[in-house]
Amino acid sequence: MKIEIQGLNKIYPNGNQALKDINLEFGTGMFGLLGPNGAGKSSLMRIIVTLMKPTSGVVLVDGKDIQKMRKKLRSMLGYLPQDFRFFTSLKTWEFLDYSGSLAGMKNRKERLAEVDRLLDQVGLLEARDRQANKLSGGMKRRLGIAQALIGNPRIIVVDEPTTGLDPDERIRFRNILSQLSQHDVTIILSTHIVGDISSTCQGMALLNKGELVFSGSPENLVKHAEGHVFKLNLTPYEYEMIKEKYNIISTIPVDNGWEVQVVSDDIPEFNSTPISPNIEHAYVYYMEQKMHADIIE
Amino acid sequence: MALLHNIRTVAKYEATTLRRSWFFRLFSIGAIFILTLMNIGMFSPVGGEVWGLVSISSSVPYYNLYILNIGQAIVVIFLAADFLKRDKKVDTNEVLYTRSMSNFEYVIGKTWGILRLFLGLDIIILCVGLLMNIISKVMYIDLMSYLAYLLIICVPTILFSLGLAFMLMSLIRNQAITFLLLLGIAALDMFWLWYRLGSIFDYMSFGLPIYKSGVIGFDNLNFIINQRLLYFFLGLVFVLVTVLLFKRLPQSKVHTTLSVILIFISLAGTSICAFNTYSIYKNRIDEKNLVIETNRQFENKNFVSLTDAAIDFSHKGSFFEATADLKFVNKNKESLDRYLFSLNSGLNVNRVISGSKDLTFSKTNHIVEIDPGKSLLPGERDSIKISYSGSINESFCYPNYTDNLKENPYRIQILKINKRQAFLTDNYVLLTPETHWYPVAGLNYYPSNPARIKVDFTAYKLRVKTKNGLTAVSQGITKNENGYFLFSPESPLTGLTIAIGDYKSDTLKVDSIRYINYYFTGHDYYKKDLAEIKDTLKLLVSSKMRDLETNFSTRYPFKTLSFLEVPIQFYSYPRMCTQTRAELQPSMVLLPEKLATLYNANFYKRFARQKKRNARNNQVITDKELQVRLFNDFVNRTFINGENTNYVNGVVWNEPLRYRLGPSFYFFKNSFYSTEYPVINAVFESHLQKLNSSENEMNNYMTGLLSENDRANLILKDASFREMLSKNPGSDTVRAIITIKGDYLFNLMRSKAGIGEFKEWFQKYIDDHKFQSVDITTLNADMKKKFGFEFYPYLYDWFNKKEQPGFLFTDLLAQEIVAGDRTRYMVTFTASNPEKVAGIFNISFRTGGSGSGGQGGLVGVPAGGNYSISMQGRGMEASDISKIIVLDPGQAKKIRTILDAQPRELLVNTLFAKNIPCEIKFPIDEIKKLRNKTTEFKEEEITVSIPLITLPGEIIVDNEDPGFDAGKLESVSPLKKILGISNKRNNNYGEIYFYWAPERWTPVVQSTYYGKYVLSSVYARSGKGDRSVTWTTKLTDPGLYDIYCYIGKAGDATKAQSGSGQQPPGEQRSDNNYKDMHYKIYYDEGVEEITVDFGNAEPGWNNLGRYYISHDSAKVEMTNKSAGRIVLADAIKWVKAD
Repeated sequence: MKIEIQGLNKIYPNGNQALKDINLEFGTGMFGLLGPNGAGKSSLMRIIVTLMKPTSGVVLVDGKDIQKMRKKLRSMLGYLPQDFRFFTSLKTWEFLDYSGSLAGMKNRKERLAEVDRLLDQVGLLEARDRQANKLSGGMKRRLGIAQALIGNPRIIVVDEPTTGLDPDERIRFRNILSQLSQHDVTIILSTHIVGDISSTCQGMALLNKGELVFSGSPENLVKHAEGHVFKLNLTPYEYEMIKEKYNIISTIPVDNGWEVQVVSDDIPEFNSTPISPNIEHAYVYYMEQKMHADIIE
Repeated sequence: MALLHNIRTVAKYEATTLRRSWFFRLFSIGAIFILTLMNIGMFSPVGGEVWGLVSISSSVPYYNLYILNIGQAIVVIFLAADFLKRDKKVDTNEVLYTRSMSNFEYVIGKTWGILRLFLGLDIIILCVGLLMNIISKVMYIDLMSYLAYLLIICVPTILFSLGLAFMLMSLIRNQAITFLLLLGIAALDMFWLWYRLGSIFDYMSFGLPIYKSGVIGFDNLNFIINQRLLYFFLGLVFVLVTVLLFKRLPQSKVHTTLSVILIFISLAGTSICAFNTYSIYKNRIDEKNLVIETNRQFENKNFVSLTDAAIDFSHKGSFFEATADLKFVNKNKESLDRYLFSLNSGLNVNRVISGSKDLTFSKTNHIVEIDPGKSLLPGERDSIKISYSGSINESFCYPNYTDNLKENPYRIQILKINKRQAFLTDNYVLLTPETHWYPVAGLNYYPSNPARIKVDFTAYKLRVKTKNGLTAVSQGITKNENGYFLFSPESPLTGLTIAIGDYKSDTLKVDSIRYINYYFTGHDYYKKDLAEIKDTLKLLVSSKMRDLETNFSTRYPFKTLSFLEVPIQFYSYPRMCTQTRAELQPSMVLLPEKLATLYNANFYKRFARQKKRNARNNQVITDKELQVRLFNDFVNRTFINGENTNYVNGVVWNEPLRYRLGPSFYFFKNSFYSTEYPVINAVFESHLQKLNSSENEMNNYMTGLLSENDRANLILKDASFREMLSKNPGSDTVRAIITIKGDYLFNLMRSKAGIGEFKEWFQKYIDDHKFQSVDITTLNADMKKKFGFEFYPYLYDWFNKKEQPGFLFTDLLAQEIVAGDRTRYMVTFTASNPEKVAGIFNISFRTGGSGSGGQGGLVGVPAGGNYSISMQGRGMEASDISKIIVLDPGQAKKIRTILDAQPRELLVNTLFAKNIPCEIKFPIDEIKKLRNKTTEFKEEEITVSIPLITLPGEIIVDNEDPGFDAGKLESVSPLKKILGISNKRNNNYGEIYFYWAPERWTPVVQSTYYGKYVLSSVYARSGKGDRSVTWTTKLTDPGLYDIYCYIGKAGDATKAQSGSGQQPPGEQRSDNNYKDMHYKIYYDEGVEEITVDFGNAEPGWNNLGRYYISHDSAKVEMTNKSAGRIVLADAIKWVKAD
């Protein structure tokens, strides 16, 4: 399955342009959308899941405009929105059953079996008969992913799925998505948590202020940052100086000072050692570069 | 099918969600709890088993759903308006929006979910009702009515409310504004719109007449279906518009197109149903107007007088075929070239023959005009035969009533019943004379004189062929020959009624009268309930009839008296030309189905209750004695006395009773007519069948409520009797003025002939002229012959002049005297009539011990007891009147009356006069002993001059005088003006409301208030002194003046003189009602504020002090400042001190 986004713009009635001429292309597997808050990720997601129309541009699924095939698209869609906290007064299994039924699972028996399977998969079987509203934040997210998975969707759109999850739950969640991405499924994962992308996505895009600043594989993003990430051991005095000048990614207290990691086009002063960048480094480097370019413009 | 699957899915979980909402749960639990209690209270054997409700079983679902529906119509608004709000707020709904379902499926699914949830609640409530229905010993089960009311009441209401809420919320997208709008619409419907334009706006079925008869079912299905489908379709339109407005990207063009198509189909359905609903209303009004306009063309034409009518009637289902063999006489003073008959406009005349000759005829609406080919001379007789067929147009009946559900409600408790005047269906027929189902020689309504009536006493014969083996019922002796029912009334009748149905009958012959009871199969429940009196029934019936005959001093004029059970929907309107309602026909009473509307027809329950009460009080009474009581009570209330008052817009009216047998003793027996004064029969009837009640009197005593006579006097202040009738006022007004004019006329005749003499002679006269229409000039001639007095010349002024006499009463003195070796009492007073026309008033006395009803006086007001006592035939008997006094213009008389018992109160009835109220009470507190033996006295003595009502040096300003200023008196509020709600009372005087007293000063009338003719004052809600009234007068002489205020203490404010010594309940209340009254006296040295303690003040003039006033004008002000509930301003008196 191939998804193409061509010249996508979204301007809200209040004049705010959420998306600016986005062009993207990706296929099956997991695709990550990375960007800070307000970058336009959710707007893009909502357009992809047909909750919203773009102001201009198209989203094509296997070459067909999704606005002209909403029924078909929705029948193969699983969606987990960014906010997934407030439920109507339904029990956990009922909510899944409702979603499953609307996803086209007409056979009640099969549907209920699938509900239980998914609840088990996301670790909610014990909370089957609990009111969805009364679940913890993490459980709600898990329920969210379960409902997004019900009915064997071919496109799964998950918007900020790991926000608020504890590390265990985040890992469990990533694993579920990873497993799914092994099948003939397209998963679009929107996040501002860089770690979510690095471990799971084959392709990714970086959005900032509605613009696409990068698209490609996470490895390519990392490549851009090679030679621009440094480790420094600093005294407190040096640390104060460095802090003002460079973008610090991490700070670890050590004897007599700090061990810090910075991204920089130049080799920093003091005792700096280049290190291999990871995706987080690359993301920060990329965003820094973009911000710098904006200032120069 | 995905469409149904998705709708069902959304509906299922929408219903689940809603069911779990606290608001719905609270409402459901509350509704189930309250309605269960109500069901137990109303329908179950442990509850009241209110007869009006349990007698006809459709009441159970109707009552339950009626109440529940109002509640759920409101609750639906709250829940449905939450629809989009919740969708917006609950982000999890977004994941549902991304599912493959169309907006159509989603919105329809939601609608169906909510609808089915509420219908589920309705069904639970219905099950509670059904349970009561099953365990009740008196109810049968009508399962169809359960389903019918669910569909009629609930489905359209919920769907409409849901759709409207959805649509408004989609459009406005503001929950608070949507709530307000929807609640406003609901309130507007419930309080203002529900009855307008033929109930077209009544989406809640709030006032729809949808009561289902146990005999004929729903009688107005066409109207019900159209009105309810209107809201069903409109609800669908709103729901489907919501589909289009729904803020989710649509996914199915087919469904969007389907929505648009369905919107158009539903709109078409709405339009058709709205058109049909409105047409039913509009056609009825148009047809009634047509009847009036047609009658206007013919009301001055001469009609023949029908003497004999033989009618052959063949029932054909929803129509009938008939021939009428008519014999008549020309009683007019002119010859007749055309014979005019009125025949219901739904009937077609096929042929008219005279002997063997066909006559030409035409029919203009309901008027048949026949050319006899000759002139019928005065007094000459002729006969014709008219063949006709068709159905009955009910709009023909009571053309002056457009059937306003609010003004003329017909209901059992809150359950609204459709009003029908005729039934003509396959299985049931009921045609009364009011439908003109046979040719009638006269009109049913005279537009320029609605009080006019033409009465013919006709010898009827009726032959009936029925369908489906049904039984025919009519008046007279019944025979069944060759499949025909033959009816031969033994005496001439004023009209003939026919009923055909599944009737059974019982006959009881008592004292040469045959009592026939026609009832629907299975409706003779009373036989079991009153089984013990079976063997004494004859005696009981005989006794009741004797009571009636004694009351009217005449024999029951017919040989039969039939009681005919008719469907509950049968309803008659009051008519201006007669007090007799159509429920009463000559020798026949039409009783409601299972006696449902009759208060005390639940013999079984009443018996059980009474037994329990007796056991509790250790009273021993046999079952038979108890059943005799119940029977007597029922007969008295229904056929003899009854409840005779009716509240219309807060005013009590004496409504003629539907089933009272009084008309049998005059209206169906006698008729007086006059070409000059066509109202005369109504006047005679109103007086001779008058039903009087002290209830009015008591109401007036307590609250200042005007009596009918007072209202009539106020109406006649500005117009003559003739003018008022030509203005075509409402029936209540006509009845009021006819009554007072009748009282005046009969008192005039009595005063000339003598009360006792006139009574005796007139009674014999009407017996001698039984079943005859007597020209009033003949009566006049006969009276002249007997008493040397002609009343006819008085009729001109009586009918045409508007001037009213006015009476002043002074110098009341009561003395104990010795007359004829007995201690007796002489009451003397002076009455004067300063006005330019002569007048009549009568007096009576309340005698005997304090507080008791007294002897020989008017109906008394027993202390603490039930004061509602009805008297029948008061006009005929006149036993309560002590004296009738005639006063010429400008005349004054000293009146003396000797009484055997000690007088407590003088009661004056000024009849037709300026005096308001016309019934004035003068308490007699002091009786002086006159030592000299009195042997002779003059009962009436003309005095030289009219006594002054103010003494020299006195100036009185009453609230009716120009010197009194209360600012703007109570007026209609702006909102009421916008909504077109007006005060329906045709007078300026209000009623005293202690708890909802008006803010503005409002005039009220009571006989204890001060006034020349009008004994009135103004009252208002107490306040902080922000409103005031002033009395001002010109003073010619400066000097010292004693200033007095008048305190008129009426029933509520007078300390009761109870013999028991106990504080009457009203005492505490009066303390709260009236307390301090604040007067401001304007005098030379400034303003002095005086507080009068109303409670402790003496009734009458109370001194406010002595003040020097040198100005031209004097002024006293009273404010609304008071600790009591209300303040009252009457009159102020200035008396020159030297």
